[in-house]
Amino acid sequence: MFVTPFRYARARSFAEACELLRSEPAPAIPIAGGQSLLPMVNLGLVEPATVVDLGGVREARQIVAEDGYLRIGALARHADLERDELVRTRQPLLADAVRWIGSPRVRARGTVGGSIAHADPVAEIPLAMTVLGASYELRDGAQARTVGASDFHLGPFTTARAPEELVAEIRVPVLGPGWGWGFTEVSPRLGDFAIVAAAALVRVVDGRIVEARAGLSGVAGRPIRIGAVEVRVEGARAEDLEDRVGEPEGLEPIDDEVASAEYRRQLARVLLVRALRRAVERAGGSGR
Amino acid sequence: MNDEVRTSKLDELRVVHRPLARHDQAEKIAGTTRYAGDLVLPHMLHARLVRAQVPSGRILRRDVSAARELPGVVDVLLGEDIPNNEIRVDVPGQTIEVQPLRASMQVLATDRVRFHGEPIALVVADSEDVLARACSLVEVEIEELPVVSDPAAALAEGAPLVHETGNLLAEWTIDRGDVDAALAEAAVVVEGEYRTQFVDHAYLEPEAGVGWIDDDGVLTLRVATQVVEHYRDVARILGLPEAKVRVIAPYVGGGFGGKEDMTVEPYIALAVWRTRRPVRMQWTRNESLLARPKRHRMTMRYRTAAAADGSLLAQDVEILADAGAYAYLSALVLLYATVHACGPYRVPNVKIRSRAAYTNNPPASAFRGFGGMQVVLGYESQMDALARRLGMDPGEVRKRNALVRGDRLPVGQELITEVQLPQTIDAVRERAGPKPQPSGPRRVVGRAIASNFQSYGRLVWLNDSAAAWVGFQADGSLTVRCGVPDIGGGQAFSLGQIAAEVLGVELERVTVHFGDSALTPLAGTTTATRQLLMSGNAVYEAATALRANLLAAVAAATGDPVESLTLEPGAVSGPTRRVPIEEVLAICRRGNVPVEALGTFFGPKGRPVTRELAGERIFPDFTFGTHLADVEVDLDTGQVRVLRYIAAHDVGRAINPKSVEGQISGGVVQGLGQALLEELVVRDGVNLTPGLFRYLMPTAADVPDIEAVVLESGEGVGPFGARGIGEPPIGPPIAVIPLAVADAIGVQITALPVTPERVLAAIASRRG
Amino acid sequence: MSEPMTMDITLTVNGRRVAATTGAHLSLLRWLREVAGVTDPKYGCGEGVCGACTVLIDGELASACLVLAAQVDGASITTAAGLCEPDGSLGALQRSFHEHHAAQCGFCTPGLLVCAHALLRDARGRLSRQEIREALHGNLCRCTGYQPIVDAIEDAQSRGVQG
Repeated sequence: MFVTPFRYARARSFAEACELLRSEPAPAIPIAGGQSLLPMVNLGLVEPATVVDLGGVREARQIVAEDGYLRIGALARHADLERDELVRTRQPLLADAVRWIGSPRVRARGTVGGSIAHADPVAEIPLAMTVLGASYELRDGAQARTVGASDFHLGPFTTARAPEELVAEIRVPVLGPGWGWGFTEVSPRLGDFAIVAAAALVRVVDGRIVEARAGLSGVAGRPIRIGAVEVRVEGARAEDLEDRVGEPEGLEPIDDEVASAEYRRQLARVLLVRALRRAVERAGGSGR
Repeated sequence: MNDEVRTSKLDELRVVHRPLARHDQAEKIAGTTRYAGDLVLPHMLHARLVRAQVPSGRILRRDVSAARELPGVVDVLLGEDIPNNEIRVDVPGQTIEVQPLRASMQVLATDRVRFHGEPIALVVADSEDVLARACSLVEVEIEELPVVSDPAAALAEGAPLVHETGNLLAEWTIDRGDVDAALAEAAVVVEGEYRTQFVDHAYLEPEAGVGWIDDDGVLTLRVATQVVEHYRDVARILGLPEAKVRVIAPYVGGGFGGKEDMTVEPYIALAVWRTRRPVRMQWTRNESLLARPKRHRMTMRYRTAAAADGSLLAQDVEILADAGAYAYLSALVLLYATVHACGPYRVPNVKIRSRAAYTNNPPASAFRGFGGMQVVLGYESQMDALARRLGMDPGEVRKRNALVRGDRLPVGQELITEVQLPQTIDAVRERAGPKPQPSGPRRVVGRAIASNFQSYGRLVWLNDSAAAWVGFQADGSLTVRCGVPDIGGGQAFSLGQIAAEVLGVELERVTVHFGDSALTPLAGTTTATRQLLMSGNAVYEAATALRANLLAAVAAATGDPVESLTLEPGAVSGPTRRVPIEEVLAICRRGNVPVEALGTFFGPKGRPVTRELAGERIFPDFTFGTHLADVEVDLDTGQVRVLRYIAAHDVGRAINPKSVEGQISGGVVQGLGQALLEELVVRDGVNLTPGLFRYLMPTAADVPDIEAVVLESGEGVGPFGARGIGEPPIGPPIAVIPLAVADAIGVQITALPVTPERVLAAIASRRG
Repeated sequence: MSEPMTMDITLTVNGRRVAATTGAHLSLLRWLREVAGVTDPKYGCGEGVCGACTVLIDGELASACLVLAAQVDGASITTAAGLCEPDGSLGALQRSFHEHHAAQCGFCTPGLLVCAHALLRDARGRLSRQEIREALHGNLCRCTGYQPIVDAIEDAQSRGVQG
């Protein structure tokens, strides 16, 4: 409500945006969908001198399939992922994860790149990207570098992105044959940020998991994969999962006003099992 | 039957008792209603408060010079700039009974801050855009003092003092019969301790308003409020005669008690008075959550004794309420808790001791249910515990002890209207049918009922009154003027229905002007479920007097006896002929008969109570009800889903059945929010709930359909036998949910809200 | 400190073209209310949570408080008032809200109407009550308990109202 006036600049390309971020009065902050930035501006937590709008970077909303990957423009909106035929068929985990995000209004305007750059520790997209082994292309003017999701997300609202760098594109491996996926979370209400969320990908042969990727958010300052569980569930059938998942390792949950560390641990176990079980079912394992 | 009790027969009603669509809803749906924050005036200024960032401290220095120099800033006020820097909460409304509430606070703190968010300075600027920076330029240096954030700790020896007068704000006791003897002799005694949390009203419309000085020099405030009589408080603060301040309440975007105390009023008034220009103030949601009073959190200890047949023998109750940093209406909220603490049951031996303590938490004050709702968790949990111990049906235990007309409450008040509590129990159970099956493995289902009673109308010693004016226009249409604020419950529309009923006018031809302290007769607060009782009766009396005038005039003109005449839409009919309303009005004018009438309704009277409550009438009357809930619990995550919810209340007579159903479903869902989701989290006095993303009120997806069962005994103290229904439905949900969960998992959760985390912990405790 | 900046922004609001030079920092909500004089979208939280400022931007749902007017320069905006008939009378969905007492204090109502409009417009097949409830989860109401709102939408759907 009580927002101190700031400047607004609209970029037509990532290169121009990077230049504006350098040349405009600081702090110059990029805006895409604005669904994370503007609440903070309205609450007075962030006071930009300039807002650099990436909305004019038209080509950055495209989603294409190429060489076993989906290339998703950073400005693709959550609703695009939800609806896009390529995403739904080639990497349904992503389409599934997006459905848990906020309200229809947030999904209509919020962008994939924005969610990644904002790096809320319990946001759905960074978790999905971490489990999928996605990589992000960061651009600074003509320069570009690629960083894996696990190396990008460093902590709560903390990433490997330099202030003038922009997340330009996300490369997501497509779902291979024999793989199934699962995504689930517990949040106080539908559409709230998760207390804990779990994502899983499994390859199943003859009803048994032969390869698994599984991760959690809400149990550390960033989304994490649970390598030990991934190993333990190899060879498991759906009905074995509860025992095999056991106590997930590497959790560092915190106590806060949303939930206790103990409850987060309990959810971590339960939700990992559920996500894995769903993945096995989808891969044609059993339990359908 | 007591002469206060009113009744009505359905076949005599024409406009009342019909589920009519409200005209104000049409405007709201079209998007044309102009709420307090929607009004824009030429050359309007904008105001914002600088608030304390710490919960407790001594103000060492305030420097407004830098803020004053910022371009666009028009004025910056400190407490010293205010003629009388004191908000005194007497008892707002149409009463001049000043109660010893000890409720006083500074408008702007000058030397001491007691809670996170307390106002310190008021900044006025020509644009909203300047205010964020201007507020940050107001320098406030505060020496932090020890914080006390737990009411028990606040009452302990040596606790830091929130106020120099001590941390005990209020205390009430009831002592009736011999509780100790009853406890010793009882077949069963059950004990329990129950806790409720801080809850925010969270109406969708944050506090807002616009003020200006009108052509006669009257300071006028158009604000979101439940109480236009706050003009008196504003006048006192500014040192003005009361008649020089006017408060207009437009349609309010939700109140629930949160707009009962003043919010923006004194600040807009000060800014207008100093600058002589129109001023708007709009609180942010963050300010609303931070600084406007909350629902008291309470700790309640119960010891309940019963005979082997389930008859209650004694209740021994201790209540401790967290009043936060300033008194506001805490003493009265606590009184309500005390009077309602034993529930709608006959208890021969009662000992109740209730206390409210100051802390450095946000202040607590009025909230739908007003202390009478927190105790539902206590007394209904005890009733279920009793039923379990005795192996009795929970409904039977309640029915066996249900109050009936002529019974006396522990406080001594005799019930003068019929009590249909058993009927509400039967109604919800008949409707519910068998308990549903779980939807899958690792899920369990539970069912419970919870009954309650809640007063309607204000405390009787407040000498409450309401006035209303009813008059015909020359074209035969009817105008009603009444100072009632309409906060969304259809308060204004119901008055139109009553006037139309009595005067035989088509509802479409009735216009209700409301909520203006200068131009509508004062009707008192839209609080305490009193408006239908008080203003409804005032309109009823005005309309009845006017009706008598008209009929007498027609009788004189036509020679028909008065008793033979009837008022019907557009005419007075008699044996001789039918006189059209226009002609009736002409007859009246020729005969010097007024075609308007002022009605004043005086509430029931009583003597002020002392700390020891005994033998006195406290309230006009009560509304009774029972709710039933089916819940499903996920044993792995602790999540609770409400599968089914049925709520039955005896409303005496439903003036507008749709409005009654709306009050029930709305009240229940607000109660479900407190039961399952909501908590304003405060840690060491610091408010950790900065926005609605953290304040978890129920969404449409979190609640089932609320099946309202409206029972009509046809009897109450409101017009046509109506009982109030604004507050009663919010109480039972906070008991029925934990009780239904207990039925599902075998352990009762005694602290609200019933979060998934608490459910899992309870399940674990059962195993352990 | 940088100088504040103004911008020429043109929006079509409920079919009416509004052009103005305003601060570049204005949210769409403030722009609608303060510049265009369209006050049915309400400020309820500024966080995109309550839904009281729900509007359509080129047909897509949005929280007007979480969009800068500058970001959507040139767009077409629909608010609840835009759901009225050209003569100002209530549209079909609005009439259903009225008949079902779906407004009490009315502050959430404009946002809920826009949400319900988009829901019925986009619905493929008949929506169950639970589906309607889930679709409304981003729009808070503190008075009604939601029930009459769900009733109104369900009834409008059964009468073939498509937004």
